[in-house]
Amino acid sequence: MNDGCHLLTLLRPRLLSFKNGGDSRSARNRRIRYLLFVAIGLAFWVGAFLIFYRVLNYLQGIEEFGDVLARKLLAMVLLSFFSLLVFSSIVSSLSKLYLSRDLLLVHSLPVSGGKIFLARWLESTVDSSWMVIVFSLPVFLSYGIVYQAGPLFYLTAGMALIPLCLIASALSALVVVVVAVLLPAGRIRTVFVFFGLLLIMVLILTFRLMRPERLVNPETFATLVLYLREMGTPGSPLLPTTWAFDSLNAALSGHKGETFFHLCLAWSCAAALAFVVTWVAEGLYFVGYTKAQTTAERLFPLREGLSGRRHRFSERFSGPAGAFAVKEFRTFFRDQTQWPQLFLIAALIVIYLYNFSVLPLGQAKIKTIYLQNIFSFLNMGLAAFVLTAVAARFVYPAVSFEGDAFWIVRAAPISLRTFLWVKFAVYYLPLLILAEILIVSSNILLQVTPFMMALSVVTVFLMVPGVVALGVGLGAAYPDFQSENPSQSVTSFGGLLFMLLAAGFIAAVIVLEAGPVYAVFMAGFHGRSISGLQWVWLVVSFTLVIFLCILAVILPMRIGERRLQG
Amino acid sequence: MIELMNLTKRYGRTVAVDDLNLSVTRGEIFGFTGPNGAGKTTTIRMMAGVLGPTEGTVLIDGIPMAVDPVAAKRIIGFIPDRPFLYEKLTGMEFLRFIADLYGCGNGLFREKAEGLLIQFSLYDWADQLIEAYSHGMKQRLVIASALLHDPRVIIVDEPMVGLDPAGIRMVKDLLRELACKGTTIFMSTHTLAIAEDLCDRIGIIHRGRLVALGTTDDLRGTARLQEGDLEEVFLRLTGKETP
Repeated sequence: MNDGCHLLTLLRPRLLSFKNGGDSRSARNRRIRYLLFVAIGLAFWVGAFLIFYRVLNYLQGIEEFGDVLARKLLAMVLLSFFSLLVFSSIVSSLSKLYLSRDLLLVHSLPVSGGKIFLARWLESTVDSSWMVIVFSLPVFLSYGIVYQAGPLFYLTAGMALIPLCLIASALSALVVVVVAVLLPAGRIRTVFVFFGLLLIMVLILTFRLMRPERLVNPETFATLVLYLREMGTPGSPLLPTTWAFDSLNAALSGHKGETFFHLCLAWSCAAALAFVVTWVAEGLYFVGYTKAQTTAERLFPLREGLSGRRHRFSERFSGPAGAFAVKEFRTFFRDQTQWPQLFLIAALIVIYLYNFSVLPLGQAKIKTIYLQNIFSFLNMGLAAFVLTAVAARFVYPAVSFEGDAFWIVRAAPISLRTFLWVKFAVYYLPLLILAEILIVSSNILLQVTPFMMALSVVTVFLMVPGVVALGVGLGAAYPDFQSENPSQSVTSFGGLLFMLLAAGFIAAVIVLEAGPVYAVFMAGFHGRSISGLQWVWLVVSFTLVIFLCILAVILPMRIGERRLQG
Repeated sequence: MIELMNLTKRYGRTVAVDDLNLSVTRGEIFGFTGPNGAGKTTTIRMMAGVLGPTEGTVLIDGIPMAVDPVAAKRIIGFIPDRPFLYEKLTGMEFLRFIADLYGCGNGLFREKAEGLLIQFSLYDWADQLIEAYSHGMKQRLVIASALLHDPRVIIVDEPMVGLDPAGIRMVKDLLRELACKGTTIFMSTHTLAIAEDLCDRIGIIHRGRLVALGTTDDLRGTARLQEGDLEEVFLRLTGKETP
């Protein structure tokens, strides 16, 4: 059998699995899930298109430098896509090349390591790129429409994106294959995720510290020339995104020759990198795969002496529920893949608070005190959304994290209800502390009134149990005990449902509070007393908020328990 | 047919397999046993070419695994202890996938695959997705897939796990029949009764080193036991004997 056939055969299980997915026993459920995913995807797609269309139309209206801004925006979008592609390619290629469960079977087959690598790399490229490609289309479509571009532009967009994906994927795979020889793959994932997140953190911080808001306000620059110079700086000629940008830019202006030249640069680089990565992998891939089967040594080995204090701590918990709580703490903190996520949360908090510290409240024409309180109110919702994102990463997969060991829970002398409430208790306190830190610090930066501070603290205190219970409950209702990486279960149907319901819950609480709080605030602002009707409104709204928060705790926990039992 | 020379595997500071030397002849059924964590699975994985050794050589029918892994693997049928199967493929699709990779997916495939599916009582399930199979059925499918290309060497890690008594009997008979036809079988097992019943020779590995090798009688001699079954020999040689 020739090499090309081998490659196709190695890819066949994936294709057949995709085809057979529809014949599966759970096909009906899957169809509903697909429909939901498609609907959400479509909403994002249309949303992205409308935003870009409006922004580009607005920029077209700005004389002299509107066009420069639009093209700069395109360069920035391409750079963002490329960064995303590199990051997702690293994670995807690590998993496909070294950590997948079918690798033991594939490596026992009479196929060379190079062929296995090539098949896996192609799979990884498709996996890590399709979403970026799909969601980049509305961007290009809006550019095409606004600039009234011809078929050349759309063709160029497709032809520029593919090499961009291939280059990102080849570079990532090259790094992964080389590093896998030095470090076990399990450890690489931790290291890459850590450095990846660190890089993202640094990029975001740098971007924020550059204060991009200045760019939409030319008055902050000494002269127009200086402003235009800042905007018109070309990208590095060695960056793949520059080739993609230059080809798209030329296609927008209808320059066929220039378009072709830049596309050739991108495609030749992609082809060369694909060759290099396959050649390197031929020699190094199996060495790395062998290394991957070695258990990674811990960054911080457990010491016997250290456990003394922990034992005293864990002795406070007794009985099966206590045992599960202690297990939950231990497994969470000993799982080194969780640590980078904690750094990311810290980074998010820093950026979140920094954004509040640089809000140009003093320059606004509206009275500052009014703005400060409006922001504080919106801040409640934002903090709760940040909390939802954190819960989606940690709380929602908590039940799925039991994995194959879930039989222990089933067999243990503990009810599923207690098991779920233990999960709730473990995550509730840290998330409450996180949310309160966010809300109090940002309110201090905003210098809000004591009333708004108290309201924010109490509202968040009421919302956190609801968000945590939604995470635990829906995680139990839609568990995935077979997943290689339960953290990814948040992208499943249940995970999406959790995020939608949590967002709905937060929005409902905010909307219920917004009306009466506005009335109270305006009364205070104008020195009036609150009317009887407003008092009734206030009481009814806050009663409904409390009722909603209680419901958000009880209902998902019950549903989760029932589904898990069923 | 199988030759292991100075085979060593280290995981960091842990030595899983330590300077293992062993040869298995054509048509022999060789049993490989030892306590948990002794290095059985590591040895088997190195022999199957899914794990590279730190030092030493694996020769399969004279072909060095490190030099020409593709040629060596082509003559092996590997059955791991925890087999992976693509759950969304049907049994027949999985066999076709394996056959294509071993280069035996030609005109005779259908006939051969159906024969194996009948032999392993899976024929009625051939077009069902593997996710619907029981644990024992999956194990039988893996064994069937390993026999599809008529391997000259069968390397099997715990062959009877998950099989019912009828399945165990069938596999035992099959292995004997294959050995009679010249297939070399290297099997690791914890079930000493099966090793005693089926194997021509048995090797006992302990802490990565081969501590005993030979027929049951040879092992009894090594353990300085006049009589007693393989279990007693095993416990004596691995120092797990109860006082």
